[in-house]
Amino acid sequence: MKLAQFVKFREEKFGGVLFETRSEKVFTLSATGAAVVREIAAGAADEAQVTARLKTRYSDASASLETDVREFLSSLKTQGLLVE
Amino acid sequence: MPLPPEAPASASSGLSAPLYVAWQLTNECNLACLHCIEESGPGKAFKDELSDEHAFAVLRQIVSAQVPYLCFSGGEPLAHPNFWELAEHAVSNGIGLKIESNGHLLDREACRRLAAIGVQAVQVSLDGAGPESYGRLRVRGRWESALAGILNLREACVPVEINFSPTRFNAHEIASAVDLACELGAVGFYTGRILRAGNAQKSWDLLAPSEQQYAAYFNILREKTEQHKGRMRVCFHEMGLTEELKYRLKSPAALFIILPNGKVKLINALPFVCGDLRTQTFPEVWRAFQSGWTRPEVARFVADLEKDPALISRIHQWVELN
Repeated sequence: MKLAQFVKFREEKFGGVLFETRSEKVFTLSATGAAVVREIAAGAADEAQVTARLKTRYSDASASLETDVREFLSSLKTQGLLVE
Repeated sequence: MPLPPEAPASASSGLSAPLYVAWQLTNECNLACLHCIEESGPGKAFKDELSDEHAFAVLRQIVSAQVPYLCFSGGEPLAHPNFWELAEHAVSNGIGLKIESNGHLLDREACRRLAAIGVQAVQVSLDGAGPESYGRLRVRGRWESALAGILNLREACVPVEINFSPTRFNAHEIASAVDLACELGAVGFYTGRILRAGNAQKSWDLLAPSEQQYAAYFNILREKTEQHKGRMRVCFHEMGLTEELKYRLKSPAALFIILPNGKVKLINALPFVCGDLRTQTFPEVWRAFQSGWTRPEVARFVADLEKDPALISRIHQWVELN
């Protein structure tokens, strides 16, 4: 799992942005969304790794984290921003 | 944690830096096109273009600011003496790089080098469905040379985009031109309205399509967008200049235009300069850019332009906002 070829990620004070540079579409991310994308950019290979890293980083053992990550990654894939 | 709706490309407020930098590396060009708003041409390099040292200093700041996307244009960017080193440095530091070229310097070796560097795309101007209208517009240009450049890019597997500038004498060729771009394997086709500035101002009566021509032109582009969907993106900008500028006043694009001498403009179609990267840092100019769009003289110029479109001819009479 990785960001699509033409997608660039930059962290911002409010969270981050994903810029699909071919279509020049910009997607803003909340701080939580940016945390997920940061893990992907850092090499997390799949949903389980992203979730595990976030649980460790934020000491969050809640089940909702897994659901949120799954939904978010699915949304990124639907938008063509994330590829396997 | 749903992905928020797509933000407009104009969402510059709140960002730490531009998302897109369009850098006119030089005003030198091997062609002297009738419609060129930059008045580029042979011997037309600015006297005060950035030195090697300044150019690399600017690029290092672009890298440091994590600008994700950069475009080298001109003039003809491949005519810049440091083009290759700048391109290699940008891409090796993770920046998506696009080149806007007339295609004439894109021989096989150049295209292999662009592929090796990993440029994201090269946009080549190919206005017309054949050599006649192309030659009328692109003074000193040869259709065959532009075409050869495109084929060399394809052979080297560099993604190609086509740019088409509509005029009174080539607008009717748009359907064939779009189809040709797709046959050539282009991934994108870009067009819009020409501006009455620079060289175009001198030849406006010869160049400017009528509103009827524009209407037919954009109708065909809408059809072609559907026809080529999934194979080639057809992107066209139908909005008139004043509508575009009024929109930008409300929502400035996170886009820097860097001139060959390091000055930064708010937008190419306005005369306002918000900084100078020879003497100011990138973050300083970014802050000046954001505040520049709120300046009353900018809004006033746009309002005046709506009443008198000929004011667009002043875009090279730079007005420093600092």
